[in-house]
Amino acid sequence: MNNAIELNGVGWKAGKGFELRDLTLRVPTGSIYGFLGPNGSGKTTTIRLFMGMMRPDRGDIRLLGKQVPRELPRILARVGFVPERPHVYPALTVGEALRYHASFYPSWDRSWSGDLMERLDLDPVRKISRMSKGETGKLLLLLALSQRPDLLVLDEPTDGLDPVVRRDVLTAVLDYVSETSATVFISSHLIHELERFCDWVGVLDGGQLVAELPMQSFKNGIKRIRVSNAPHVPGDTPFVILRRSGIDALGAMETWTVRGWQDPMRQYFEGVGATLRDVIDLDLEEGFVELLRSARPNNHRS
Amino acid sequence: MYQPMLFIHWKQASWPLLPISVAAFGLPLLSVQGMGGNVGEEGLFAAAYSPLAVIGLPLYPILAFLTGAALALTSWNWDHQQNHVYALSLPLARWEYAMLKMGAGAVLALIPVTALWLGAHVASASVTLPVGLSAYPNELGVRFLLAVALSYALFFAMAAGTMRTNLWIVSAAISALVIGVPILASFGFADAALQFLWRPGGPFEVFTGNWALIDV
Repeated sequence: MNNAIELNGVGWKAGKGFELRDLTLRVPTGSIYGFLGPNGSGKTTTIRLFMGMMRPDRGDIRLLGKQVPRELPRILARVGFVPERPHVYPALTVGEALRYHASFYPSWDRSWSGDLMERLDLDPVRKISRMSKGETGKLLLLLALSQRPDLLVLDEPTDGLDPVVRRDVLTAVLDYVSETSATVFISSHLIHELERFCDWVGVLDGGQLVAELPMQSFKNGIKRIRVSNAPHVPGDTPFVILRRSGIDALGAMETWTVRGWQDPMRQYFEGVGATLRDVIDLDLEEGFVELLRSARPNNHRS
Repeated sequence: MYQPMLFIHWKQASWPLLPISVAAFGLPLLSVQGMGGNVGEEGLFAAAYSPLAVIGLPLYPILAFLTGAALALTSWNWDHQQNHVYALSLPLARWEYAMLKMGAGAVLALIPVTALWLGAHVASASVTLPVGLSAYPNELGVRFLLAVALSYALFFAMAAGTMRTNLWIVSAAISALVIGVPILASFGFADAALQFLWRPGGPFEVFTGNWALIDV
């Protein structure tokens, strides 16, 4: 499968405070990839690295099959970018910002831009500095979509937006994807927002990729199971144990949080003399939290 | 691509550029105040050494210096405010972006330069000069253009860098002055070093040369 974004062993260090360690990430072409992580986990840094805004200390980055930063200008002509904070010049009007931006993109679609501006209810003579956060968010998306990108990179695009604007923004993205089958990379810490339309998900925590898997596996594969007579050392399990808790003195009943669960895996417990009592579905947020807990170094059996 | 860049730079630079252009047009006119009409040789002499005329001469290089600085600083101002995120996400090489910006500023510099050149011509035409004295409006215009270009290039290079880079440059310059000048002076080279900067053919001679509109 081709990857629209590919990072191999990328490392980047900012003093003593933060480090991206050996980051390997693959975003399949045509997918909608949700990049999840708590605030400060390194999502924006990762985006800046693969967009060529910063140079990694080590590792290899390819965007749309081309090497970053060697072929950067040609790559960026095919990438629509909505940064975390508005990056357009505030003294311009919407129309001026569009004209300026359009001049850099040969693929700029003027009529599509006009339609989108109408749909997003943006006034071309309105000054950007006087626009609300929601209007600015819509303008950034308009700029990114009007160039008809093959890859759309959205860094927390709906952060701080009201529900109506958030819906407008996400609908515009989905409409574009359904028309063009472009790849979308969307970072967020709002897991429920990504749940509805992402088909892949990557979870970053403390500068490390904790998990990268299809959304379906993420949704269905993280379970809480209750086990009686659980073995002290579980041995080779067909699933990944994220956490063991509720262990009583007699070892009678334990609660395990596991990843990669499938129903046939029940047989494992018969093999080790344990009894599976219950399989509990976790909602996405619970699953996300469990995944993060398991990845942190101070995660102990509790 | 160039035209929108020029427009963006104009939006940023128009507020300092307009008063500078007015000053550039007015300065040659002010420098010939009192020289007009039939004032005779003594009157002309008095006018040439009037406080206004004496103060006026250093104002040309100062104005050129300010023009270059204003154009360069406004050129990068918005990008610095946005941490260069916008510029870096655009599909062109960094050197190409910097060249577009520099080119836009160079074109805008022609506004005050043209204003000064026109002002110099109007001023020259408004006075009747006695035999032996001539007006040099074109030469003044060219000197102003070169001084603006030098100032713009210096400030553009500095403004394009980060605050840290600029602190290094300023610190190095101050250190050179504080440490270098006394050392050179102890060997009797301080005057020679300063002379090298300002002497005819030196890098900053354009600022210290002859700025007179009316001369022999």
